Amino acid sequence: MKTILISLGIAIVTCFTSNVQAQFNKAELQASGLTCSLCSNAINKALKTLPFVESVQTDLNKNLFTITFKNGQKPDIDAISKKVEDAGFSVAKFWLLGDIKSLNIKPEAHAEVNGMNLHFVGVKTQVLNGQQRLQVIDKHFVLAKDFKKFSTETKMPCYQTGSMSDCCKPLQATASTNRIYHVTI
Amino acid sequence: MIKRLLILLILFACGRAGAQELYIFTEPASNMPTGSLGARLNNRFYAMVHDGKYSYRLDPELMWGANKNLMVHLNLFASNMYEQGFKFEGGSLYAKYRFLSNDDVHSHFRMAAYGKIALVDNPAVLTVTHVHQIDNVEHTEKTTYFSDEISLDGNNSGFLAGTVATQLIHKLALSATVDYVNRWDNLNSEKSPYQSNHAINYSFSSGYLFLPRVYKDFKQTNFNLYCEFLGSTSLDYGSWFLDVGPAIQFIFNSVSRVDIGYRTQIAGNMLRMTKSQFLLRYEYNFLNLFSKK
Repeated sequence: MKTILISLGIAIVTCFTSNVQAQFNKAELQASGLTCSLCSNAINKALKTLPFVESVQTDLNKNLFTITFKNGQKPDIDAISKKVEDAGFSVAKFWLLGDIKSLNIKPEAHAEVNGMNLHFVGVKTQVLNGQQRLQVIDKHFVLAKDFKKFSTETKMPCYQTGSMSDCCKPLQATASTNRIYHVTI
Repeated sequence: MIKRLLILLILFACGRAGAQELYIFTEPASNMPTGSLGARLNNRFYAMVHDGKYSYRLDPELMWGANKNLMVHLNLFASNMYEQGFKFEGGSLYAKYRFLSNDDVHSHFRMAAYGKIALVDNPAVLTVTHVHQIDNVEHTEKTTYFSDEISLDGNNSGFLAGTVATQLIHKLALSATVDYVNRWDNLNSEKSPYQSNHAINYSFSSGYLFLPRVYKDFKQTNFNLYCEFLGSTSLDYGSWFLDVGPAIQFIFNSVSRVDIGYRTQIAGNMLRMTKSQFLLRYEYNFLNLFSKK
């Protein structure tokens, strides 16, 4: 009986807040507005100045940057987006990559991974296990026209502001920050 | 023949290569990266109308990306255009603010507003002294050459304000500028009553990434082709000119570039001191020099 109660308790807790031992070790981003290798190099060099970035690989033909994070460091993906914009360009697409163990996700539900609050949009209820590639769909991580498109898919005001608000209360995550990233698979 | 070859080259480039907006004779609506410093050495060789000889202007330039929307250029000028010797003429300050950015993966539309102030101490008009020997007696004769062109690239003091729009459509980068330019009295010189005081300048530029076809790394040399049209209409006299400016550009190691351009008048009736020039430019970019960690 005791074990049933405990597992029920765990189940309830994981249902509302999923704090998973997982880490994002890489990010991929596609930049827009570039015309030459001088532009790509400006982004490349700017990304390398970030303290949590270990290395940056570039696919110059696709304007695709693969950013490897330093081991054990919490990435600040807003800083990444700002570096790209400061270099004079925009982020068209952005993915977080990492190994995730037993993360229950469902549409419009929150989870905490790597100290980041994640809000899942347009996903099926499922358990994520193993290597994952999550697309961040917040402002400054997608093209303006794609942001408009995603805005029709989630009515939650936190998508517009990027910070947790009343709409998040039923599924409040536990990360110390109010910043919430909206992701899809 | 050279013109035909150029047109062929540009058409060839247009058909198969990427777009490029690092224009030679104008600035695009895009800015340089925040916290970066660019240094240029501009060498301009002007074919003078009055004697057919070339004058030379050295024009070092510093460029700074203040933030993602604002960049500033500082130029200094020295030339032998107005007198025999090579002399320091003055400088200019240029600022450009990007106020619109509509980016997509393979296209973008951007707009910026820009302004420039130039202060130089050249004479208001070009005066050439001719010395004749007649019966062993020296006669000197002074000839004055008026010009209605207002150039803030070293010739005149003044200011300009304008706007630029740059569109990248698939493989073609097009840019257009229009600005109002006002001539001030040059430092230590009287204003000539016969010269135009203000004008509208306009330009249309296109650029093509010719090489490489496929990128491999940052060390690959880029080869770009440009064709620009630059014009001006005097608001005092209605006189005008239209120049064409073909140019080639090499980008080395994704940090430095060499521009070789030629600009010459193809139409117009404006009184000008020079109707064609060669430009040889070296540029080096110090990326993230002032950027915060």
